Amino acid sequence: MRTNSQISALFGPDTATRLATARILVVGAGGIGCELLKNLSVSGFHHIHAIDLDTIDLSNLNRQFLFQRKHIKKPKAHVATAAIKAFNPSLDTSAMQANIKEEQFDVDWFSQFALVFNALDNLEARRHVNAMCLATRVPLVESGTAGYLGQVTVIKGGETECFDCHPKPAEKRSFPVCTIRSTPTAPIHCIVWAKNYLFVQLFGEPPEEEREVVEEVEAGQEEELKALKEESGALAALSEAMGSGDFAQRIFNKVFCHDIGRLLSMSDMWAQRQPPRVLDYDELEHQACDPPADHSNLSMAQAFILFRESCHTLARRRLEGSPLAFDKDDQDTLDFVTATASLRSYVFFIDQKSPFEVKAMAGNIIPAIATTNAIVAGMMVTQGVLALAGRLDECHTAYLSYNTKRPRCVIRESLSKPSLLCPVCRRRYLTLRLADPAKTVLGDLLDYISCLEGDMSLGMSRDNISVVEGSRLLYDPDYDSNCSRSMQDLCLVPGKMVTFANEDDSDVVPVILSIARPLTKERGGLDILIEGFEYIPEYIPLPQQSLKEECSATAVDNNSIEFGKRSIDDVNEVFESPSKKHAFD
Amino acid sequence: MSSENNNNNNTATNGISKEEVALYDRQIRLWGMEAQARLRQSSIKVIGVKALTLEVCKNLVLAGLGSITIQDSTPINEIDFETQYYFHEADLGQPKDVVLAERLRILNPLVNIQTGEGRSEDTTYDLVVKIGTGIGGDSLEVNGKCRKRGERFIAADSFGLFGYIFIDCLDAHEYIEEEKPKDDNAVVKRISLTASYKPLADSLTSKPGVANLNRLVRKFPPLVFVCQTLSTISQLEDIKSAEVLAEAVRRSIEGRGIPDGVVDDVLFGRVVQSLGTEFVPCASVVGGTLAQEILKVITRKDMPMNNWYTYDAIKADAITCQL
Repeated sequence: MRTNSQISALFGPDTATRLATARILVVGAGGIGCELLKNLSVSGFHHIHAIDLDTIDLSNLNRQFLFQRKHIKKPKAHVATAAIKAFNPSLDTSAMQANIKEEQFDVDWFSQFALVFNALDNLEARRHVNAMCLATRVPLVESGTAGYLGQVTVIKGGETECFDCHPKPAEKRSFPVCTIRSTPTAPIHCIVWAKNYLFVQLFGEPPEEEREVVEEVEAGQEEELKALKEESGALAALSEAMGSGDFAQRIFNKVFCHDIGRLLSMSDMWAQRQPPRVLDYDELEHQACDPPADHSNLSMAQAFILFRESCHTLARRRLEGSPLAFDKDDQDTLDFVTATASLRSYVFFIDQKSPFEVKAMAGNIIPAIATTNAIVAGMMVTQGVLALAGRLDECHTAYLSYNTKRPRCVIRESLSKPSLLCPVCRRRYLTLRLADPAKTVLGDLLDYISCLEGDMSLGMSRDNISVVEGSRLLYDPDYDSNCSRSMQDLCLVPGKMVTFANEDDSDVVPVILSIARPLTKERGGLDILIEGFEYIPEYIPLPQQSLKEECSATAVDNNSIEFGKRSIDDVNEVFESPSKKHAFD
Repeated sequence: MSSENNNNNNTATNGISKEEVALYDRQIRLWGMEAQARLRQSSIKVIGVKALTLEVCKNLVLAGLGSITIQDSTPINEIDFETQYYFHEADLGQPKDVVLAERLRILNPLVNIQTGEGRSEDTTYDLVVKIGTGIGGDSLEVNGKCRKRGERFIAADSFGLFGYIFIDCLDAHEYIEEEKPKDDNAVVKRISLTASYKPLADSLTSKPGVANLNRLVRKFPPLVFVCQTLSTISQLEDIKSAEVLAEAVRRSIEGRGIPDGVVDDVLFGRVVQSLGTEFVPCASVVGGTLAQEILKVITRKDMPMNNWYTYDAIKADAITCQL
């Protein structure tokens, strides 16, 4: 093995050994992932595992530097690990093209790693990895970048804030129904209309209700809503005519003439607003124009032609197969959305956006460059080394600024303690193993939990416990019909996480039981085994402990005061009480 | 992100081919077509190959710079394999610039990559970047020569857990700043500005003008005085102890109205431990920052740091100041 002598000089021989022996997981081999893997490969790490479900695309090559043109369409994780092996042939690497949320990546699988790095681009996967790392007590280095901006932080269950300690803003923007369907004022409204309404109604799988990007309708708008529903119905009916040669014309006349005419008849709506105009199919049909340019706005004639062509192409594709989904890389669908959004903008006298811009807005493209990823990945590995070296107190949450007039390019803060109200990390994470999931029934597990005593007591029993998995309520004192069903029958299999809470006493910390792999015979013939009691995060009070102990007033958690759910005494004692030390420490 | 070229209906925009527009799509969406076009037409020289050089060149080549000339004929050494990841066992003994150029060409064949002295006397570079102090002679001299030729100059280094960047964009650097629009509809406002930079020689003798130590370190990270000193020392191996470094720093802050003790012993100790080593995560941060500043210089979009940046990887201190 090629050792890195410089790591030993900079961090000491003990840390250098830890880095060389630790198994590292990198989740995501894209923009941040490539820079991260490169850094890890030459910083004294040896065992590196990468996972990414994606394949390589041309637009990745401006920053995902481990990939070249010849790798387009190949899986990212595999190409990336092969590339870093060339940087350091002594590495022990492995790659998987898979989704980290799959059940095969259960607590036992995560437990093999000493450190996890997140290089993801979506909230859902981040939340999932956060939960798995909390459950296994593996430190997690979290990150994100967009354009010139980025951030890094370190999450260690029980010691720092977790990903969900502070609520994150929702990823999708939502708009009122009427703005999209009746009174748009901005290009984005027209694009959302084209992509989420028109395209879906004609070529896609329409949802039962238009729920996705619309907010609640205010009172007094029920009539308008009813009219809109009728309109959607009529449009859906029109899609029966998809095979006919005048399909595009029928659609055009409906959405750009007839429906607009209906809107115009509601004169109140336009008392304070610019009224829309109706478009003329025949007039536009006879207009000549140049081919459109990607970075220029479409003229009405250009939009018209693009609409007609894409409409017929999509109709043909739909008739030949299953419902279509919008994809910014599927040119036909993009053309349709671009064209219809453009025409709608002309109808409502809204500014045009070029095809280049529409692609970004409809496709949620986030601009991305190599430099931001390089900076973030550099900070991530430094933090990772410190975390492995047991120097968590020297770790930071860091935010990149760009073009700031202030001296600091990176805003950094020490890591915060976990939030007392966090629904994810203010939990006891334990693991459950069963000898025979087909034999053990839910009732057996409840009995087992109820009987736990002393330091292993969870403060829960059959008459106060609630059991939830995902969005399913499996048991509560009024709902016990599942007690006789086997764990397997209830789909409580490895990879799942089940929450147990004491319904009567909110001071009892809920338990999240991660279902792990089955018990082997060597475990002494047990049917049920719950593990992980030895780890009690400092801030979680044990069920027997009194909540009225004396302490100083300094360590007040501002979050708790703000939410006002716990009294100031409770808050103080959790941070300051000296008797918090657990028997197993 | 307003469309900047409404009258060009050809496949090429600003002279950029359709193929390049597809490749650079995600960055064009960030800094615009005009900046990308400027990038393509520019030519820079980079002197000195170490981990920081690999990082900066990688970033600039990915961005689609027109041409990069790399100068450093030092033969590749065993120790280089630990951190200079583009070099493989088979490259042992080969000149660094030649091998690096080969690897960078694979990264982006559209960029023109040259090696060695590079140019004839009449061509000027848009920017000369000197990495480290071991190659290319004295940084003060190089900066002086650049000034005579009207060339902008950057000196930078990344060693162990520290790094620095010094920028000289000459006396009147014109650039554009865009005012962020309040919503998608508003037109982006472009403001034309000028900034003045000083040569390294002036910077090294400048007087911060803050006598009080506490106020001084709020404006100037102590690390910057250490880096100023290091930027003039070509044989960093000569700094064998914290005491030697402290003495060198004391000499370089003499007569500038800077209180003694601006740099504490702990920092001297940490810096000495980092000298002569490389830590790629640190080079990655400095290299990313440096490449971003180089892009600002070349595209004349946004103001390049004026004029020192220092980085302390453990403290996560990335701080700019003007000396």
